Formats: sequence, structure tokens, C-alpha cells
Amino acid sequence: MELLKRKEDWKITYTHALGEVASWFYVQLRDNAKIYGRRCAKSGRVLVPPRAFSDQTLEPTTDWVEVGPGGKIEAFTIVYEPFENLPEPPYAFGYVQLDGADTAIGGFFKGVDLKDPHKAAEILKVGTRVTAKFADKRVGDVLDFWFELD
Amino acid sequence: MALNRKSAVIGSALFLPDRCKDKSLEEALYEIAQEAIRDAGLTMDEVDGIVVGSNDQFDGRAISVMMASGSVGGVDRDILSTPSSGEHAFVLGVLRVASGQFETQLVISWSLTEASSLSEAQRLGADPYFHRRLPLDEGSAFALQASVIGAAWPQAHDLATPILIKNRGNGAKAYPGAAGAKVDRQSVDSSRPKRWPLREAMLPPPAAGIVALVIASDAHIEERGIKNPAWIRGMGWATETGFLGDRDLKSAPALDAAAERAYEEAGITDPRKALDLVELTDATPYQELLVYDRLGLSSPDKWQSDVNGGSFSADGGLPVNLSGGVAAYNPVFCTGLMRIAEAANQIRGKAGAHQKNGAKLALAHAASGFAMQYQTVLVFGAERGE
Amino acid sequence: MGYPRVGIIGVGQSNFKPKRDDASYPDLVREAVNIALGHSKLEFDDIEAIVYSLAPDAMVGIGNAERLGVDAVGGRSKRFLRINTGGATGISSVAAAYYHVAAGACDVVMTAGADKVGECGDSQTVLNKIWDPTYERQLPLGTITMLAMSAIRYAQKYGLTEEDMARVVVKSRKHAALNPHAHLRKEVTIDDVLASRYISYPIKLMDCCPQSCGGGAMILASEKYIKDNKLDAVWITGVGHCSETYYLGDRMGNDPVADHADSYALNLSFKKAYAMAGVTNPRKEVDVAELYNPFSNTDYHAIEAAGFTGLGKSVPELKEGVYSLGGEVVVNPSGGVLCTNAIAVTGMVRVIELATQLFGMAGERQVKGAKRGIASANGGDHQFFGTMVVEA
Repeated sequence: MELLKRKEDWKITYTHALGEVASWFYVQLRDNAKIYGRRCAKSGRVLVPPRAFSDQTLEPTTDWVEVGPGGKIEAFTIVYEPFENLPEPPYAFGYVQLDGADTAIGGFFKGVDLKDPHKAAEILKVGTRVTAKFADKRVGDVLDFWFELD
Repeated sequence: MALNRKSAVIGSALFLPDRCKDKSLEEALYEIAQEAIRDAGLTMDEVDGIVVGSNDQFDGRAISVMMASGSVGGVDRDILSTPSSGEHAFVLGVLRVASGQFETQLVISWSLTEASSLSEAQRLGADPYFHRRLPLDEGSAFALQASVIGAAWPQAHDLATPILIKNRGNGAKAYPGAAGAKVDRQSVDSSRPKRWPLREAMLPPPAAGIVALVIASDAHIEERGIKNPAWIRGMGWATETGFLGDRDLKSAPALDAAAERAYEEAGITDPRKALDLVELTDATPYQELLVYDRLGLSSPDKWQSDVNGGSFSADGGLPVNLSGGVAAYNPVFCTGLMRIAEAANQIRGKAGAHQKNGAKLALAHAASGFAMQYQTVLVFGAERGE
Repeated sequence: MGYPRVGIIGVGQSNFKPKRDDASYPDLVREAVNIALGHSKLEFDDIEAIVYSLAPDAMVGIGNAERLGVDAVGGRSKRFLRINTGGATGISSVAAAYYHVAAGACDVVMTAGADKVGECGDSQTVLNKIWDPTYERQLPLGTITMLAMSAIRYAQKYGLTEEDMARVVVKSRKHAALNPHAHLRKEVTIDDVLASRYISYPIKLMDCCPQSCGGGAMILASEKYIKDNKLDAVWITGVGHCSETYYLGDRMGNDPVADHADSYALNLSFKKAYAMAGVTNPRKEVDVAELYNPFSNTDYHAIEAAGFTGLGKSVPELKEGVYSLGGEVVVNPSGGVLCTNAIAVTGMVRVIELATQLFGMAGERQVKGAKRGIASANGGDHQFFGTMVVEA
């Protein structure tokens, strides 16, 4: 028998309030090309990206700490498959522990030849030193910076 | 059958739109969860588990409990979520304590206004097979239900306005600033027809809100010597079918089932007499009338004398919606858990400006979905009961 | 204190497929429900309450799609609620159903659901929306890239080669070939897996689970009801859940509580379930395990988190066949999530498979003499972990 299908899409946009902490972080990033974390007074850990409270201690964070731009790779992957609404492959991204931070922040790795997965993976291996580079035109978003190998 | 273990609400906190303005959702959830736990006299380490009620489409986040986990204390803890409704989170919290595996539960639900259109978010709940192309959101489902109720009992059309006036008056006293202002007959009758028979004044605008409650076992309450718990004396919940066309919108079989169970557990045979107050879900005044009927508070032939005689007014024999109800303040997805919190707070003597002195037995009614698909009834008592 | 015993008296699952154009979403739920009712020999009228199992709404493209499933589960005027903990939803739903009975709220409860993952277009697009819009959603995160990074960290910490990952696929497909319900049933070799294209390094196409369509249903009952009605049952003796931080970057850096290399909270969750069931030495006391493994590398975390071996020690043991059919502790005799993933019920299928084993109905994939099994499922961004112990 004839089996029918119907195509539907969801047309809603959302305007999420970022709150004071993320707003301050993004303004610093946008206006001064600087990355800051928030220290949890109870554990002493510097959370990057900054949160208003620590989900471990459930205490409010207390002070701003400038971190980076240097850091080391904590995790990476290289994507070779296209996904809807995501960038054209191949691309590499992952997480970097910036100097002065206790946690890692996500971003793209640029300037690495990704043609050979194994060679690229060797270059990007966990522990490798990188530096955050900032876009000339910044909008206040995590994509305002990316990481390049030292 | 009664649950294996008694439990009660021992703490709560509410987020109203005028508070924590411009906080991110996570920050606001953190603040409210912490406040509810403090109100319960607990530390986070004493919270055994968490149940969250949230809605992906309203929040704009897939698996929206993920975002909540850390902020409400879910890290290293047992957290579940019931996206079907905020009140279902409460039901599951009670069941978890009754199972004997948990002494305490934090229950939290919220509703935001960050979506470009909540109406559009609700329309996604219409199935793509037969109904998606119709303008079916909650407001239009409420209007269909109101028109069916009005056709069956024409007096409903006359009573909608006084019910709204009552609730908005209560709300203005309970939550000045957060709730809608008082209305009078002239302002209601002159507001534009929005979805017949509902006028604009009868469809409260969506607002942001968060509500958190802490439930504890009888053993915990005894051990801590907690003075004012709101004991859960009866709990019923049920659903109707998904397609509106399969339902008789002037009846509410799921509410009948939920109320029957809650009344039986609480040992209530004459609710009008037994109860000190009721918090019910009045997304429209017509729903309030229907709920009067199905809860056994007032049948259609008595609606006129009860409503016009003030039986359910703040100073009447059985106050309904001292908080102002949904009519006064409409955090869409968590209105049901709000009703539960309001009724529990009344029993705990913590309802604030709208506290009814000496409230010993209170009923909370929650409804969610198109034309009240999900129905939940809680009875709270100052006494533990058998 | 002692916990009330809750029995499983009926299970049903579809034969999972990539597409089911012949059935609407509620039709798929009903398909599994009918099988579970048939197995339990009960009627709809005997079911007192329903826990509806459904992960992100966007995956089926219907908001609060559980409302549409009410008739499929015979839910009218019955107690009904829905659970969503992402990939853990199915096992969380069984846990919620367990709480209904253990609380004394009812004697007979059903949990059911279905998924049509193939209909949402690209599930990774939906799954990108699970991340927080403040800091992480702007990145091209999806569940594949998330777990690829976990594989990278695991490899760095303990040593894991792409061949080791492929070995899990070979084992899983070999098991799935014996399971008529499994979606991917074709056996493969290590070379086949290694030759498949990279999706997100080091994960290749064959290291990934499929997007499956199908339903699952279970009926749970109180001990009294089971005895009064002389029903066959297997018993849920342990239930646990535990969560980790939402932020992937917090599972790295200096001394993270939960390392993204491992499944920290899965281990804590198992500890809760084991304590409840009185299991002290899982390697000796557990006969069969159905552990959530959507990508080949995650089989290793799960085996370690279940306490079958130490952190980083599962790789050589799996190579020796410890975890294969005929081995010491059989892990995923169904073929696991790697061969079938209908997200809304994947966690439930883990428990269904255990029950099937313990009832002795598992056919060619039967673990002989299985008396005690464990199940797990993971949800969110490797964040929510649900576990269960089931005994004959």
C-alpha cells in the first residue's frame, strides 16, 4: 500500500539570559580579549568557563582570576563526517586547561593538517601545549577564540 | 491502597518574576534549591534524591534536566525527571520516599518565558499525523473546553467573570507586584474576546517561575522533631487520552479517578466540610467551575449561589485559590507544582500574606496538557493521619 | 531496612529496525505493550499505573509525545507519568515503575515506550541542543564527539587502541547475530571495523550504534500479587542512580572528581544497587550483564564501573574472552546498544534482556544457568547513570 510521510520542522527561537557571571566573562572576552575564571573559595579551584557557583561544593564562587592564554590539551577529537547545522568536516576541537585554571574549556584547534587522522591525532595528543588566539572582530562568544599549537 | 510510608512537605521556596531578575536559569535554580533546603532545615548532604519536572520545548534545551542537575545539587546524587508535568515530579518524590529507599527528596519545577512563542512550543504537542496543522495550543484547547462547559451549563458564562475577580483580588493581596492586578466586572467584560468564549482578561499571560519543595519521611520528621510538616494524606493522579476529539471536555474522568484515590486515602467523604482551603488549577475560570463539580465542592446547580454567595472567597466557608491561582500568576509549566506548594505552605503556616489561620486540611489540584489532560490531587494535613 | 520485593512478570520488545514506515509512533509502543501483556498473561484492566519512557521529545518530533501514547499503553483514567533522563530514560523508567510498587501505591505497573530515531533527521543535531547555550552548545558537540573525547582520555590514561575498540564491535555483532530483536546482526571482523570511515576520531562508523525504531514494555508487580496469582517472576533486587557534572570540561584538568575517561558516577550508581541487593563481589556473583555501550570504547568503562575489574584492566580481559558468551561474566549477550539503539527504550531493553535471560527465554543468546544479572544505562552528556540488579 501507499505509505505517506509528512515533513515538519520546529520554528521557535529562544533568548536565554546568561546571568551576571557569564555576561561579565563575555564582555571581557569581547572588549579586551582576555579569559577569566571564577574561584570557588571552598575548594580553591578556578572554574573556566566561570560559573556563579560550584556544582561540587554548591558554594558561590567568589573572585575573578585571569587565565591563559597558554594551556594544555585535555581532550580532542577530529570530525570527518558532516552533521546537519554543524561545520563542514574535517575539523578538530576539544578541551584545554588554560594556565591558572583547574577545569577545561572547549574550543576549536586550528592550524593542524587533518588529512591523516593518525598523524593529526599524534600532534593533538593530550598534554600538548597550545595558546588561545583571539579573533580580531569579537562578539562575546566562546568562538571568539580558538587554540593553536605552540 | 495506602502507601507503605508516610511523608510530608518540610520545606519550600518560590521564585517569582520580580526576584532574581536577569539571572541565568542555572543561577536561579541554584538559589531556589538552596533556599528550599534551608527552609527544610537540611544540608545538601541530607538530600537523598531529587526529582525535576521540566519541559524541553519551553526551555529550548533537549533533556532540560541536564542543565538543572548541578544547580539543584544533582552531582553525585540520584536525580530523575518527569517532563510530563511539574506535579508528576512531586508524585514521584513521594513514591520514592514511600519505597523506603530515600528519607528525603528535593522536588523542583520551573517555567520560563525565553521562547519566542510558548504557544508555538505548545503546538508541537499536537501530533503531526492529524492535528499539527490546526491552531492547537493550550489557550485554544482551553477555549474549546470552556465552550463545551458553557454549552452544557450556560450559567458558566455568567460566573466566569466573578471567579476571575475573586482570584485576581486574592492574587493582588498574596503576591503584589508579581501577580496581575485586581480586575473588576467592567475591565473583564470590556477586554477583547481572544478565543471565544475566553476574553483576554481570562487568559493570564505566561510568566517565569520556579518552585522547589522538600519531602521527608515520617522517620526523618520524628527524628528531627520538625514542628510544622504538611503531611501527605492523600495522593491521586491520572491521565486522559491524547486526542481532544476522543474526550468529553465537560467531564473529567481523570480528575474523578485522582480525587477518588486522594479522598479515600485521606478518609474524606464530604470534602466541602472537611477541607479548610483548596488550591486548584484555574487556567480559565471555566476550569475552576468544572473542578468544583468534579471535586465534589459544588455541582452546576449550586454554582450560582456558591460563587455569587462568596462560598469560595477568601472570607468564605471554603477559600479557593487564596494565592490568586493561575489567573493571577501563570508560570505555565509549573503552575501545578505551585498549587501543591501553596497548599502545603498553608498547612505549614508559611503562606505569608494570604495565610488562612488554623488551616488543618488543604487540597491541591494540578492539571497539565491540552484541556487538563493530566489531573493530580493532593490532600495535605497538619495531622499525620493513620 | 529491608526493601519490598518487586517482580518482573512480563517483557516485550520489537524487532528493532532502521525504519518502520508501516507504524506510527504510538503503534510502535502498542506493539511492545501487546507482547509484554501476552507474556504476563494479564489484561489492560489489570494494569494500575503506567510509567512512560521517552527521551528528548525532539527525537520523535512531537512535544510531550507521551500524551499521544496514552491509548497505546491503555492509560485512560489511570495513574500515568513520564520519565526522561536522556539515554538513561529506559532504565530510569523501570526504576520509577519499581518505586510505584515498592511504595505500595499499586500492585501492577507497566512501563513502556518507543522511539523512531530515524525520523528526526539527524539525531546529532537534536543532541547538540542538550548542551548549555552559555558555554558549550556553540561547539560542534554531539554524543559521538563527546564519547570520542572520552576514548582519547581513556587511551591516554590506560592504553586503548583502535583494534581494542574494534574487538568490542566484533564481540557485540557476534552476540547480536543470535538475537532476533537486534538491529545490526551481521557479523564483522576487526579488519572490517578498522576499514570503516572515521566519524569522529578515534570513533569509526562501525564503532557507532545505529539509529533504531522500535518499542519496549515491561510489567512489574508486587510480591503479594505474584504469589496470589501464581505468576512467574524474576526480581528487581537493586536499584541505583547517580549523576556527574553537566560540564565536560569539569571532568578534566586538575584532579577532577569524575574523569571523562571513566564512568565515575556509573560506578557509584552500581555501588548503590549492589548494596541494596547484597552483592559484594560482582565478578563472582553476577552471571550476565547488559551494560549501556553506544560506542565501542564505552564497553570498557562500563565493565570497569560495574566492578568486574579494575580501572584500565578490562581491555586485555575482553581480548581473552572473559566477557563473551561462554566467558566468565557475559557482557551484552544481546549485542548491546552498539547493535540496537532506540533511545527512549534502550535502557529498558537492557533490563528486558536481563529478565529474558533469567526467565531462560533467551534462545541462542541464552547464558546457561543465569541466576543474577545487572543492567545499566547512561544519559545526558555521560552524566546520568542508572543501574539495576535482577535475580531469578
